[in-house]
Amino acid sequence: MQSDPAQGPPAHDIAMWGAPGSGKTTLLAALNIALMRRKDEWKIVGSDAASSDYLIERTNALSSGKIFPEASQSLEHYRWTLVGPAERQERRWLRKARPTPPLTIGISMVDAPGGLFSAGPLHTANGSGVADDLRRRLMDNLVKSRGLVFLFDPIREFELGDAFDHLHPPLTRLAEKMLEIGELRDGMLPHHVAVCITKFDDPRVLETAQKLHLLDSAPDDEYGFPRVTSEDARDLFRALCEVSASGNADMVVNALDQFFHRTRVEFFVTSSIGFYVRPHTKTFDWNDYQNLLPEAGKDLRIRGQVHPVNVVEPMLWLGRRLAAGGPR
Amino acid sequence: MSEPDKALLRKAVARAVAGLTATGRLTIVEVAADGMTVFRIHRDDNGRPRCHYWSSSWEDLTSEQGWGHESSRPAVLRAADPFSADEVVLVCSFPEGAEADRALAWLSEARPAAVLPSDGPVTAIVEDVLASDPLTRSYDLVVLRADHASGRLRLGSKQLFPIGALPGTRAEVAVRCEPGDAYGTAFAVVTWQGREPRLLSVHSARLAPGSYLLTAELVRPGKVRFGGVPELTRDPRGWDDLVAAAPAQLPPRAGPAHLICAVEVCGPDAKVEERLSRVRQMVSHLSAELADLLRVSLVTYGAHSYDDRSAGEHPVEVAAWQVTPERALAALEWLEERGAITEGYPYYPHAAQVEDMLDAVARRLSTAERVRTVLLTVGDRPPHPARTNRSLILPCPRRHDWRLLVGRVQGRPDTLLAAICDREDTSPHPVWRRLGADALAHLDALDIRGLAADLGLAAPAALPIPFPLLDETE
Repeated sequence: MQSDPAQGPPAHDIAMWGAPGSGKTTLLAALNIALMRRKDEWKIVGSDAASSDYLIERTNALSSGKIFPEASQSLEHYRWTLVGPAERQERRWLRKARPTPPLTIGISMVDAPGGLFSAGPLHTANGSGVADDLRRRLMDNLVKSRGLVFLFDPIREFELGDAFDHLHPPLTRLAEKMLEIGELRDGMLPHHVAVCITKFDDPRVLETAQKLHLLDSAPDDEYGFPRVTSEDARDLFRALCEVSASGNADMVVNALDQFFHRTRVEFFVTSSIGFYVRPHTKTFDWNDYQNLLPEAGKDLRIRGQVHPVNVVEPMLWLGRRLAAGGPR
Repeated sequence: MSEPDKALLRKAVARAVAGLTATGRLTIVEVAADGMTVFRIHRDDNGRPRCHYWSSSWEDLTSEQGWGHESSRPAVLRAADPFSADEVVLVCSFPEGAEADRALAWLSEARPAAVLPSDGPVTAIVEDVLASDPLTRSYDLVVLRADHASGRLRLGSKQLFPIGALPGTRAEVAVRCEPGDAYGTAFAVVTWQGREPRLLSVHSARLAPGSYLLTAELVRPGKVRFGGVPELTRDPRGWDDLVAAAPAQLPPRAGPAHLICAVEVCGPDAKVEERLSRVRQMVSHLSAELADLLRVSLVTYGAHSYDDRSAGEHPVEVAAWQVTPERALAALEWLEERGAITEGYPYYPHAAQVEDMLDAVARRLSTAERVRTVLLTVGDRPPHPARTNRSLILPCPRRHDWRLLVGRVQGRPDTLLAAICDREDTSPHPVWRRLGADALAHLDALDIRGLAADLGLAAPAALPIPFPLLDETE
């Protein structure tokens, strides 16, 4: 994928946010695969060589190598543009219809090591001074961005329960900065937030949704994957918070409600790798849908094809909401 | 003593002893030239006549006062104590003596009784009468009665000598002896008082297991001599100790058996080698115990492979089915040479084809066969579930459900489940508790003999039978 020099700097920055291991890097790679699997013309284009290389590398690791992309080890600022299908205007009188420029949503993503957001000390090879610098740069990006992707890993929350620890400190500092520059609106942060509940493919998450009768299916989904609509995603989020290891997950919801307008927060139930589908049936099978494969002495591999679930939707939702609001 | 006098005296004493009740007292007073001897006879708890006697000289009885003093009479009566006896027999062995006549007169006056003449010591006559007294209670040998159908053991008795039996009577009893306890096999004789047994004697010896024709001879009341077994020694235990030593159940009798060994052959070579080695030990041990009553099946299973890079997984393999131990050991040798299977690599690391193995076994087991069957599973991994679940273990590609299959095998008549699990942690997957429902052992602490005994495939080494066994049918 090559960058489009004509795009210029993106109009909107979307920052990714989440605890370490919550799947930020994997979500980026899955985003590209998901766009390529869509039957419309949406695509993602790198805005510079580094961003294109990053995307190619992560995408190949996920799709061909069937391994999870390496987590971010340094603060990287990548820029892409989501390019939609070109819209054609209707003919007027004898004038020839002119194709309008394709719908584009500028996205700038800040990919950072998960631990950078936490309240505790960050251990880097270059010492705490470097960590402070990273935090400062990251905070600058959060201040400049108007869209946030907050990744909530329910399995990590069940086992470690540290989502709130990774959300609250930077959120407080962000509010402080925004207040300082007069960007708080009605006492709220001006950002749109896409809360992505990850690992929908994990049996523990899927079974929870099933027990709560939150499962739906998209009629146009060729595999018949179950899904949870955005309307129901908040209920699932609350249910998953109840089994938090620390018992603090309910404060994640409260913190989001305190700092952001309710209308600016949307929940998405996502899976970067999706469900396993047998090659000869190509249909979701309730008996056998786990797409992770353990290997002796190694990390988990991806078992079958990657079928990302609901990873494009948060980006498009953010992009459209930001575009509707105009440039900053 | 003239023979007629002696016979008359013996007859009188014998009659008096025979008339002794369980609580009765008989007193025989022998008045002699230098003093008198008192024999006090009663029956003990076993009905055996017991005699205590004591002698007093005339000097002791008359003290320094002489026969004329008024204290002499009470002294004589006190020494003989004729009043506490139910029957008194007076014997005079010195009729011309003045002291004897006076003592006899006092005794006759106090407790009228015929005076029998005697010209010799009465002790020998009393001892002879007591030694030849007919039994007033039957003497029984304590035995364990075995009901082979149920394996139940019941502590009981077998009569050796009936009431009225005389010394010199002999009896024979056919018994079987099994390895006993620390004392060996106890030969205890009891009498019965109503429904209560009274222990008469216990002698024991360590005997070689087998059948014995036990002979018992009534030597005298209270003494039984056993023959037909090696020399017995006196056993110090009381009745309660003996009862406590009696087991309630016979060790299970080994019979025809079908041993199915299912071995996990994936994972580290050393582990696979160890598992196969334990199976070899088990088959060899049971082969020695059951000989041609044993049939062995060998089934191996590995891990599933879900990786499309794999050339294909190694399926469950039935290396032998219902073959002789010799053929099973030969098949085992081949498996040992092959070692851990690597086909299908990279294979699934956290579970194995337990459910496929169970399916293979369940399919082959005939429900009509009525032979004790033992499925011995050796391994450590859990099975794959039939469908995706929270265990996160991928489901079995063939959708076999290990729970259903275990139930199917377990529900078969006379079929037991045993497992040798070599999992490092202390809490194996629940399936291993199901697979080892009847016997679960760890590879590192395996008692082959104990495991075989637990499964009823061999007699346990340490179950003592401390009494002679008598078949219920006898």
